[in-house]
Amino acid sequence: MPQASRQEIRFLLGGEVCIVRDATPTTTILSWLRDTARRTGTKEGCAEGDCGACTVLVGRIEDGNLVSEPVNACIRFLASIDGLQLETVEDLGGAHPVQRAMVEHHGSQCGFCTPGFVMSLAALKRTNPQPTEGEIDRALAGNLCRCTGYAPIVAAAMAAQPEPAHMRLDETIVAKLRALDDGTSLSFRRDGARWDSPRTTDELASLFLAFPDARLVAGATDVGLWATKLTRDLPHLIYVGAIDALRRVEQVDNTIEIGAAVTYADIEPIFDGLYPDFARLIRRIGGAQVRSVGTLAGNVANGSPIGDGSPALIALGAELVLRRGDERRALPIEEFFVAYGTQQRWPGEFIETIRVPLPAATTRYAAAKIGKRFDQDISSVCAALRFELVDGAILEPRLAFGGMDGVPRRAARAEAALQGRSFNEAAFEAAMLALDQDFSPIDDHRASASYRTRVARNLLLKFYRELAGETATRLEPDAYVHAIV
Amino acid sequence: MKFDTPATTNPIDQLKVIGKPTDRIDGPLKTTGTAPYAYERHDVVANQAYGYVVGAAIAKGKVNAIHVLDAKAAPGVIAVITHENAGKITKGNFNTAKLLGGPEIQHYHQAIALVVADSFEQARAAAQLIRVDYERSDGKYDLAAAKDGAEKPKAGGFGGDPDTSVGDFATAFAAAPVQLDATYTTPDQTHAMMEPHATIAAWDGDKLTVWTSNQMIAWGKGDLARTLGIPKENVRLISPYIGGGFGGKLFLRADVLLAALGARVAKRPVKVALQRPLIINNTTHRPATIQRIRIGTDKDGKITAIGHESWSGDLPDGGPETAVNQTRLLYAGANRMTATRLAVLDLPEGNAMRAPGEAPGLMALEIAIDEAAEKAGIDPIEFRIRNDTQVDPEKPSRPFSQRQLNECLRLGAEKFGWSKRSATPGKVRDGDWLIGIGVAAGLRNNLVTKSAARVRLDQRGIVTVETDMTDIGTGTYTIIAQTAAEMMGVGLDKVVVTLGDSSFPVSAGSGGQWGANNSTAGVYAACVKLREAVAQKLGFNSADATFADGQVQAGNRSAALADAAREKELVGEDGIEYGDLDKKYQQSTFAGHFVEVGVDAATAEIRVRRMLAVCAAGRILNPKSARSQVIGAMTMGVGAALMEELAIDKRLGFFVNHDLAGYEVPVHADIPHQEVIFLDETDPVSSPMKAKGVGELGICGVGAAVANAIYNATGVRVRDYPITLDKLLAKMPV
Repeated sequence: MPQASRQEIRFLLGGEVCIVRDATPTTTILSWLRDTARRTGTKEGCAEGDCGACTVLVGRIEDGNLVSEPVNACIRFLASIDGLQLETVEDLGGAHPVQRAMVEHHGSQCGFCTPGFVMSLAALKRTNPQPTEGEIDRALAGNLCRCTGYAPIVAAAMAAQPEPAHMRLDETIVAKLRALDDGTSLSFRRDGARWDSPRTTDELASLFLAFPDARLVAGATDVGLWATKLTRDLPHLIYVGAIDALRRVEQVDNTIEIGAAVTYADIEPIFDGLYPDFARLIRRIGGAQVRSVGTLAGNVANGSPIGDGSPALIALGAELVLRRGDERRALPIEEFFVAYGTQQRWPGEFIETIRVPLPAATTRYAAAKIGKRFDQDISSVCAALRFELVDGAILEPRLAFGGMDGVPRRAARAEAALQGRSFNEAAFEAAMLALDQDFSPIDDHRASASYRTRVARNLLLKFYRELAGETATRLEPDAYVHAIV
Repeated sequence: MKFDTPATTNPIDQLKVIGKPTDRIDGPLKTTGTAPYAYERHDVVANQAYGYVVGAAIAKGKVNAIHVLDAKAAPGVIAVITHENAGKITKGNFNTAKLLGGPEIQHYHQAIALVVADSFEQARAAAQLIRVDYERSDGKYDLAAAKDGAEKPKAGGFGGDPDTSVGDFATAFAAAPVQLDATYTTPDQTHAMMEPHATIAAWDGDKLTVWTSNQMIAWGKGDLARTLGIPKENVRLISPYIGGGFGGKLFLRADVLLAALGARVAKRPVKVALQRPLIINNTTHRPATIQRIRIGTDKDGKITAIGHESWSGDLPDGGPETAVNQTRLLYAGANRMTATRLAVLDLPEGNAMRAPGEAPGLMALEIAIDEAAEKAGIDPIEFRIRNDTQVDPEKPSRPFSQRQLNECLRLGAEKFGWSKRSATPGKVRDGDWLIGIGVAAGLRNNLVTKSAARVRLDQRGIVTVETDMTDIGTGTYTIIAQTAAEMMGVGLDKVVVTLGDSSFPVSAGSGGQWGANNSTAGVYAACVKLREAVAQKLGFNSADATFADGQVQAGNRSAALADAAREKELVGEDGIEYGDLDKKYQQSTFAGHFVEVGVDAATAEIRVRRMLAVCAAGRILNPKSARSQVIGAMTMGVGAALMEELAIDKRLGFFVNHDLAGYEVPVHADIPHQEVIFLDETDPVSSPMKAKGVGELGICGVGAAVANAIYNATGVRVRDYPITLDKLLAKMPV
């Protein structure tokens, strides 16, 4: 059912309603802030979501409360914050506890990255007033600083007092956001390009059926770069993030159903209870700015051979619900990836939900990614394994890898080597040998083929040791809190 | 003020303000995002148009034709600048390649066009419409392949002699009972400062003003005038806030020139920022090196022969990476040699990046020392102490002004728990982690150069400092304010510091860790002049006058400082100039770097677990900003050791990973607990401030300390940086 539509973008800037009529579909929040609104506190360091100098907060209502998430303004399209609140460093004034602590602890040197850090820290301290160092590292993973070496910033984060009550206007903002929402969909054309933000899944389905060449966009953590860096033409964007129904995670029988607009940040705590390794993997994807907008479905639909979500989901035996118009079909996720750059998806068809089976008491699951730096790194290898441990035997093993081929995929021979074997090191050693026949990875700048082959093997052994409870020495920032002198 | 004899007691020694851990005075501007960086200065001039830079898509060759008509006709486009309409452009003194290429192309992403439009998006869209017919020439892009054809570079500049020799290295090395002969490589690296190069240019008749981001104002002004062929007096360069430089903004770059050219053609102000994906190939980088080091010792581990040869590449008429320099000074040894060779490569221009020479040189030398110590069967700290020298080993009559390297190493060993280190590698395990500890020495010279300032006193008693010195994040604003406050006897709240304007007296600028000592010494000199003027105005004998708490006192007479300026502002202008103390004494800064790493036995993932630097660097003007400088440099050293590398397409001749996703610098979780200890030191030979630089010392040696820790953890010696997982795992036991 088509909804009433509206052509101007409306959002709250700080606490005031802001109406924008002259933005194009690919105008980013950052260029609008700096060039039109002349709010130049937010900086442009890279224009591709790598450095976090442009971090702003986007606020929305969730369960009746205001949730403010850090976002890279450089690659998020302004039209996607229609109906939301935008908060920039200017809105903090100058006496915010985070700003004061950053001065006192020398957390700013050249200062160019500083407003981005201030915004990330303001967001962190609102939800977690006394974070651990590991939580600080995680919250700041998407903010690069080349001057301070980070330690002074971490010290500032530890020391900063909670935001005083008088600075929090959550209830007012919630009321204003409610008043802003008249249920209409944003739809406009400018400079030869079109933007649509449907509000219901049905509306999305009919729009995409009518315009199958349009580009669906959720977090735009990749598509944003197509505009800013690749300068590709994007004549029609359809934004899925305004559809509340697609932001839901629901349990249906023995599966959880994850809507197409569910972000990494949304799903991470849920997986933390079900499949902790998947949650750990998610915490190493991008930075907080990417995870607060990037979606699991978008990562799958993008089809990258090195996307981290896909191997983790393949090992879980996840299923995609694909929808085209009113038709739906379910597809095992590994069948979605046909070849490098090609997916099993018809014109006008989109991922509506991802179904992930819940773990049984017998389920064992492990996942890991390997990169040079801890966060914000593209995996050289990503691995995930699930099996059922029944009476000491390995049943239904599903072992998937990213970075080992043109698509993320299962390791059939290694799985065969595990199937039915007793859960012991010998079984995994057999699988390690079999793995060599499963993949012929390539050499590239990220890692050599021989490294990929060997580390894929060794990850299997690592999984065994961890699942057998022998070692638990995975990389987590909190593990490195050592007293020094 | 001429500084040609070691400093005696002076007002700085009061240490009422100097030496105190002081918050940076520009901090609030930065945490609120209101410090004005070049590209966002909407306020300085009206009607700014936007420029978008087009870079060459070949590494070497020429432009046969450049088709700009479609771009010119695109919406909002005001002008397109290319070599065809730019007028005569002379290469700057500090540039190796031209900043606007065409018809000849000297390197990939050399700028070949600027599109000027009403909006940034319009300029960017129109830039895609430019078509270029190239004629590609063969180029040389592989240092290893070009090494044998490398030649002796010309002497001079900061480089030192290409060949040095003392005693008889060859004979002594051949006779040494312990010999090390190993080759190390360091990759091309990029500064990756957070603020892209950016400029707004505006013409007023034949006068040009640029608001830009530049470390060395006078160099930039001079080269901009030279490049455009206009008198220097007609150029004003303003750069009060700089979002990081690390050497990447030492020189005039394409953003400045193109903004000036664009503004001239468009007849309105033009702003240009280098797009991030353009920066790495368009601007300068730290060149890769191949380094061969030979060390011979006697049975007791005393060095009898030390030789260091380095090869690097650059464009024709470029310069070498001077990676051997620290080896001339760091250790004793009667027989020594160094050699520096330069190959012609057609990669983008190589030039200075934080601690040029020493940073890559020590990455190699300090692994070699670790290896030599192991061969001699001596603890690596003891080995370094045994080979300490208190004099220039090439000229024993020339002592170090201060040298506390042994003290750095000993104190660091104690604080870091060195005694718990296993001398045999690969022996310490924590679950899946192999644990190791490493050490390296750091040395970076203290360079002296003249630096001037002007200091004003007004009737409110406010002291205003004016100098073209820059603050690239280093903390210059604060230490200059501290200097003026100390000299004039006022609080920091009475001092205003204005920097980075070419209409101010010429300073040292920011580079080579020389900014802090030289620029504050220049402010010291100007303050001495102002003190004389104040004393004279008040009728005091200036030699007797003391300045404290806003008062001036001489004998039993006292007056408020502000009284001296009641009728008319007083101005003191002077600079520091140095005699030959840097010839008589070797002035250097020293560090002991300690690192603990964990290496995952299954994946070779490397995590630095803790780090310590003990530094001896003269008087520390502001322990807060100095500490942060060192920590930041240590972090850059971790990046250099583990991840930073520009990958070369050796077929087409460019750096492939030319953005912040592909060129990895450390993130928060890569950096563990770090600590810095400054030894108590004043160096009266360096300047009246008795200070030395510290910002580059922090990176010198860190990479090798990481490498040595990895060796201690795994028993695997990787001599090719960065030490990536694949290089390490390949040699680890299955």
